[in-house]
Amino acid sequence: MAQRTAGRFRRVRIGIAVATAAAVALALGGCASAAGGPANITFFLSKPEAIPYFQNVVKDFNSSQTGVHVTLDSASSLSAGFLRGNPPDVGLLNYNMEMARFQERGALSDLSDMPEASRIRPDVQALVDQLPSYPGRTSVLPYSVAAESVIYNKKIFADNDIAVPTTWDELIAACDKLKAAGVTPIYSTFKDPWTVAQGLFDYTVGGSIDVAGFYKKLNKEGTAVGPNSSVSFEKTLQKPVDRMNQLAAYSNKDAPSRGYGDGNVAFAKGEAAMYMQGPWALGEIAKTNPDLKLGTFPLPMTNDPGDLKVRVNLDLALWVPEASDNKPAARQFVSYLMQQKVMDAYNAAYLGFGTTTDAAPATDDRITGMQKYYDDGRFYQGASKFIQLSIPTENYLQSIVTGANAEKTLSQLDADWARLALRG
Amino acid sequence: MSTQAAASIPLGDARRVAREASVTRRRRGRVGQERTNWGTTIVLFLCALTVLVPLYVTISMSLKSTAQAVDGNAFSLPSPIDFSGFSKAWALTNFPVAFTISILVTAASVIGTVLLAALASYAIARNWDRKFFRYSFFYLLAAMFLPFPVVALPQIQLTGLLGLANPLGVIILHIMFQLSFSILLFTAFLRSIPLELEESARIDGATTGQTFWRLVFPLLAPMSATVGIFAFLASWNDFMMPSLIIADSSMQTLPVVQQIFQTQFSNNYNVSFASYLMAMAPAIIAYLFTQRWVMEGVTQGAVKG
Repeated sequence: MAQRTAGRFRRVRIGIAVATAAAVALALGGCASAAGGPANITFFLSKPEAIPYFQNVVKDFNSSQTGVHVTLDSASSLSAGFLRGNPPDVGLLNYNMEMARFQERGALSDLSDMPEASRIRPDVQALVDQLPSYPGRTSVLPYSVAAESVIYNKKIFADNDIAVPTTWDELIAACDKLKAAGVTPIYSTFKDPWTVAQGLFDYTVGGSIDVAGFYKKLNKEGTAVGPNSSVSFEKTLQKPVDRMNQLAAYSNKDAPSRGYGDGNVAFAKGEAAMYMQGPWALGEIAKTNPDLKLGTFPLPMTNDPGDLKVRVNLDLALWVPEASDNKPAARQFVSYLMQQKVMDAYNAAYLGFGTTTDAAPATDDRITGMQKYYDDGRFYQGASKFIQLSIPTENYLQSIVTGANAEKTLSQLDADWARLALRG
Repeated sequence: MSTQAAASIPLGDARRVAREASVTRRRRGRVGQERTNWGTTIVLFLCALTVLVPLYVTISMSLKSTAQAVDGNAFSLPSPIDFSGFSKAWALTNFPVAFTISILVTAASVIGTVLLAALASYAIARNWDRKFFRYSFFYLLAAMFLPFPVVALPQIQLTGLLGLANPLGVIILHIMFQLSFSILLFTAFLRSIPLELEESARIDGATTGQTFWRLVFPLLAPMSATVGIFAFLASWNDFMMPSLIIADSSMQTLPVVQQIFQTQFSNNYNVSFASYLMAMAPAIIAYLFTQRWVMEGVTQGAVKG
């Protein structure tokens, strides 16, 4: 009898302990949502250099109304947020393969019913669907496009009496002329693999073939990609990659030991005529030499000037996750961000191109060279950006420009692609 | 040691020993002025450089202007000296808040680790003959072989469910992950403390709790310092756990908020180094004042007893 009582007491005590633990957990968990006043939402931003700009936007928004309070966040782990079930309510991120994973799995809500969605240029919205997307949804709204092409030193071009080349032959002639004059034609930074993929590789491939179409076919081939498939890296990209090597030979001698930072400084000091980087490098170059006159032109890969195209990527894209606690508030902030004046001010400050039909044109001399190609929809997304990150594409490309056999390396890429397709 | 040896030698030999000793002394140079061992000095000098050079770069970089910081000359002296990096870093990371949270997390982890590990080790070491305690020791040790990344996913979900997706959750996890190694150190050390001391306390009427708090825990002090130093380093420098566990970015620790300086497309060396310097400063200053204990503490684990 005494033993049974003791046992019951113990059970009661365990019960109380469990109940207390649960109550504590609930109380702690409740803290976040119990606060009264305006609806609190978090706004995640992935671009560190744009933090000061969006801090001001957020401040303006918070003071313009009382219903919603936005907190800017750029330090959290996004994957952990989604896993935990409390992702940021609004995201403004670089749109790439990593982001497409969230989209593909339906973690992002449909924004197609927002009036802002109809203002986006259809050919820009189409860029989103070139990467894996969720059928029937407008999961992300393109916010700003970064256009990339060859950056050239206007003074060096003028001094050597060279016009902006519009055909492959003109480009090679310009390179030879510069070389003969003792000027390094192209500044390359092979030490950082991403610069090879972003510049030399993407420009030569994008100027030669239809990138999105190529990957569409490649995805259809799936596990069959290899020597016998209709398209493959080895077969389709052989010619562009040969030309990439041809151009790489015009680089500075010390390219294999130069990184992105070195390239910016050297180019700012006028050590070379051309530099294959995006608009993000312009700000870095200006840190060393703010008065340098620079321009941009798409890399000509054929002898038809009508084939000229610029590389683009969705520098920033907006989304609202399905798991957001407060979608109406999140959408209200999305509308605020999508106002034309907010978008135009951002693009002007960060050398981006507008994504909407009513966007203001770029005004900065350094990027206006790309405006007409962008307006005409003559652009492509970088070929290296279509490949899953688990394939070390950038490193393969780095080895090609530093002397590896191009054919073998491309067939390795085919094999990797097929293996990844098998894994699903 | 030497006096003992001399005492055991017969008197006739003592003179020979003395002579030999004087020979060695002469070979070493004059009394009180030992010859410099150049080989070792150079090696140690090079070792010192590996610490001093990065420290110099950190300090000089943090004082440069942005234009000078990106020019590729890491070793050049800053001219003009520019403090704007510090103010930018201060504002971008919201330094005071992040710093306070880092301090709180670290302090709580260190205290929690030392107390819990000492208590557990005492129980285990003094009940070694019982199966439950022996196995619980092995169980706790097994945790040493579980790195955090392996259990990261379930930990993120669990802390999220329990409302611990905040610095408190990080403190608990830091203590948990530090526990096994600390218990290993404490139990080894406890075995070297004579049981008779505790028996005498018992005879004086002390309870188990009193014995622990008034006798054993103070005796554990050297090992507590070691455990505390390891816990401090692990907690203060941790990046991955807080970045994944803490949901609210305004409650993040210092190493995590500093990740905004690591970007692919831009270099802000002066701002980032200013921030790193501010994060490093407390540890360095603390070390300058406590290096004696730190050295003793770190070697404690190596040379037992």
